Amino acid sequence: MKKSSLLQGTLDVLVLRILELGPNHGWGIANRLQQMSKDSLKTSQGSLYPALHRLEMRGDVRSEMRASDNNRRARIYTITAAGRKRLHKETETWTAFALSMARVLGTNE
Amino acid sequence: MITRLIAFARGLLRRQEIDDEIVEELHDHLEREIQMHLAHGVSPDEARRRAIRDLGGLTQTIESTRDVRATWFDGVGRDVRHATRVLRRSPLFTATALALLVLGIGSTTAILSVAYAVLVRPLPYPNADRLVFVAEKDGAGVAWPNFEDWRSRAHSFEGLAGSLADAVLLTSGDVPRRFESRSVTSSFFRVLGVVAQRGRLFDEADARPDAVPTVVVSHSFWMRELGGSAAAIGQPLSFNGKSFHVIGVLPRDFRYMTPAEVYLLLEPQVAANYRGMQSRTTRTSFYGVARLKPGISVLAARTEMQTMQAALAGSATNPKDIGIQLVSLSDRIVGDMAPTLMVLAGAVTLLLLITCVNLAGLLLNRSTVRAHEFRIRAAIGGSRWQLVRQLLVEHALLIAAGATLGAAAGALILYCLVRLAPSDLPRLDEIHLDVTVMAGITALSSACTFVFGLVPVLRTSDATWHGLAVRSGRGATHRGTWLRSGLMIGEIALATVLLSGSALMVQTMLRLARVDLGFDPHNLRSVMFSLQGRAWPDARKQVFYRSVVERVRAVPGVEEAAITYSLPILGSNWWNVFMIDATTAEYWTSVGEFPNAGMVPVTAGYFEMLKIPLIKGRYFDSSETPTSLPVAIINSSTARKYWPNQDPIGKQIRQGYPNDPYGPWRTVVGVVGDIKQNGVDQEMPRQVFLPAVQQPRTTMFAIARVRAPVPGSSIEAAIHDLDRTIPVFNDRTIEQVMREASSRRRIAMVVLSVFGGVALLLAGIGVYGVVAQGVADRKLEIGVRMALGATSNQVLQLFLGRGLAFIIVGIPVGLAAALVAARSLASLVYGIPVTDPPTLAAVAVILVAITLFASYLPARSATRIDPLNALRAE
Repeated sequence: MKKSSLLQGTLDVLVLRILELGPNHGWGIANRLQQMSKDSLKTSQGSLYPALHRLEMRGDVRSEMRASDNNRRARIYTITAAGRKRLHKETETWTAFALSMARVLGTNE
Repeated sequence: MITRLIAFARGLLRRQEIDDEIVEELHDHLEREIQMHLAHGVSPDEARRRAIRDLGGLTQTIESTRDVRATWFDGVGRDVRHATRVLRRSPLFTATALALLVLGIGSTTAILSVAYAVLVRPLPYPNADRLVFVAEKDGAGVAWPNFEDWRSRAHSFEGLAGSLADAVLLTSGDVPRRFESRSVTSSFFRVLGVVAQRGRLFDEADARPDAVPTVVVSHSFWMRELGGSAAAIGQPLSFNGKSFHVIGVLPRDFRYMTPAEVYLLLEPQVAANYRGMQSRTTRTSFYGVARLKPGISVLAARTEMQTMQAALAGSATNPKDIGIQLVSLSDRIVGDMAPTLMVLAGAVTLLLLITCVNLAGLLLNRSTVRAHEFRIRAAIGGSRWQLVRQLLVEHALLIAAGATLGAAAGALILYCLVRLAPSDLPRLDEIHLDVTVMAGITALSSACTFVFGLVPVLRTSDATWHGLAVRSGRGATHRGTWLRSGLMIGEIALATVLLSGSALMVQTMLRLARVDLGFDPHNLRSVMFSLQGRAWPDARKQVFYRSVVERVRAVPGVEEAAITYSLPILGSNWWNVFMIDATTAEYWTSVGEFPNAGMVPVTAGYFEMLKIPLIKGRYFDSSETPTSLPVAIINSSTARKYWPNQDPIGKQIRQGYPNDPYGPWRTVVGVVGDIKQNGVDQEMPRQVFLPAVQQPRTTMFAIARVRAPVPGSSIEAAIHDLDRTIPVFNDRTIEQVMREASSRRRIAMVVLSVFGGVALLLAGIGVYGVVAQGVADRKLEIGVRMALGATSNQVLQLFLGRGLAFIIVGIPVGLAAALVAARSLASLVYGIPVTDPPTLAAVAVILVAITLFASYLPARSATRIDPLNALRAE
């Protein structure tokens, strides 16, 4: 339970970070995730979509179906003001957490 | 927060759309992924495989994404889907439970709706509880002078009015037509509290001798005869050859006792001494209706009236205290239908109880059967709340379906009941499926379903709940078994009550069918015709009767025809006192009761046609003429009572009292057999027959014995051939009259028998279920017993004993209850005592047989248990 919510939180923050750079569709976000983390944060693409919809239900992103380049409709996600706020808060938490972890583990002398 | 709410609301509204979009979105994702792989030179099949693999499966992802969108409603939706599956998977349970619900809800709603409409719902008058019916004690109507005494003296009433049912001829057109009418005192509508829908109703001024004659018509008359036009009000209409001004139209739903379309004022009729109403000794069907002053009780009013009437008696003009009958109007209108309806309501309530008991047993049984499923759910971490919610949804589904079908069944039953009902059932047209009744009964059935469906689950404590997961679950069923046995005993008792009632009614109908009527009722058809008005002096009627008989006899299919003043079974129209020899008047005065009998003017051939046997003397024949010797024929009862051990032939009789004779002295020329003149279940009354040619009356029955079915219209046509201005009405056969008269009993019999049969069936199924469950629960024990040498007879006895135990307790309880309940049947049962021991014994035997049979089937299967298999199965 604890573990899965931690992972979930991680994915949420990463998705928000990607969307801060600009609106994108699901596949685009998945690709960016892979590039940004250099494959080190390997997540199943399958868990991305529930996460996106959860974020939308929470109001952190909004989406709309838009005609896309390949003659289909794609869902384009955009970060909302609430999403930015959450991203900044989470970023701070993560940084603080990472710092304290580093301090404890003595890697940051 | 608000964005979340909006998203949530949008999610609810756009469910299907969002679902579709998720599918589209994921397909788009796959397409892009495949394109990417293809760009890297991967084969199309492999590209697709990888794309789906990386997504973690298409369907799975669609599902998990949808789940994010899922709301509370989706949770219920899932429960409903699951419940539907569960119910569909056990069709026998579902069908039985539904059948029980439909039966219980449908039949009870229908019958209680009738009872409610007739017995409980207030009459359609304002403050109807203050309306009372007032009459003389013997119920034969009120003499006008007595009515005037009451009206001027009584203090309990805000107003006292009176009315009598009648019929009038509308003589405005070229052919007179007959309408049911009511003659009312000018205060009648005011006392009832009715307001005109159009125009105005009667007031005191209309009753003044110099007033313009006025008429009030019903809404249906106004619509049909006057075209519903406002201009018709104030126009004259001619009734019985006299002109009346239409002053008003009654509300559409107005009714009072018998239906009527024309309302005329009574006061002018009394002033003209119509029907001899000015005399204190004349009784017409005139009755009073009064509105009590606020705060005055029916009892107080009755006491006042009785005291007053007693004080009035004793004067020369008013010698006898006639007594007072004063009851609430609704009691009077519902009248003797109340016992029948109470019986039906009681029967249906018993049936409802039985269906509830059966439903309870069924549900208890099911929770035992499903204990295993519950255990698995508990074992894999299902919370009790989840299970309860699931069961709640299952039962709610059952009830919703049961209530819907039950309402439909109720409407159907109600339709049949109304068709079966006697046409004189009071307030028949007010009956409809009652929503309140329906809601109450559905609530009761729901309560029963929820209680017995959920209690077994709720009752287990948390500890037990978790324990359920590990226990192999014997023993948990034992408490349920006791409960079920109790329910079974109750059910058998209830079935006993219903069956006794039905047995009594069946006996009654059989006995009534075997009653010797004294005449042959088959293939008799009759119509009424009326020779009203100045155009019909007695001399003309006397000649006319013979022509009618000849014409009707000539109708194809008619064997014989005659004319009579009173129709057999339907009752006497004319009861009168008579004198026997001028010299015996003093003797009868000292006895205190003058000879009396039903007077029936008939034409020659009447007795031969009805096949009423001649005991002595002769029948009437063509020698009787208006001027021939006045004669009479008496029936056996009359002969026995007034000429015991004497020959009545040649004796003299004359109607009326010595100081007030009616008609001439007549010579008795014949004695005929008694017939059931007043109804199959009534005593054969004394009758005196007079030749119609010597004693003409205005309204007569033409009656014909037919060979083949003859339409009433051809008899009507035969009379109209003679004179098309004669109103002909009330076409019916004697068998119809008999059916009509027994319709209350028939309803009671049909309902009690159907319900009794259903109760018997349910009891049988119930016993079977309980015993079969017992066999299933004790399989191992039986195996052990048989392994240790128990014979199959002993095993059989073990389980037959279960069934017997139900009977031993259930039937005596039921019989005791039946004895109490039978009292309500007293007015319906004919020919046997309501506590008839053979009948009750027969009911007990039937129940014992059914119960034993129902327990024998599973008991026998117990004897076939193979000990080895039973033991191995554990």
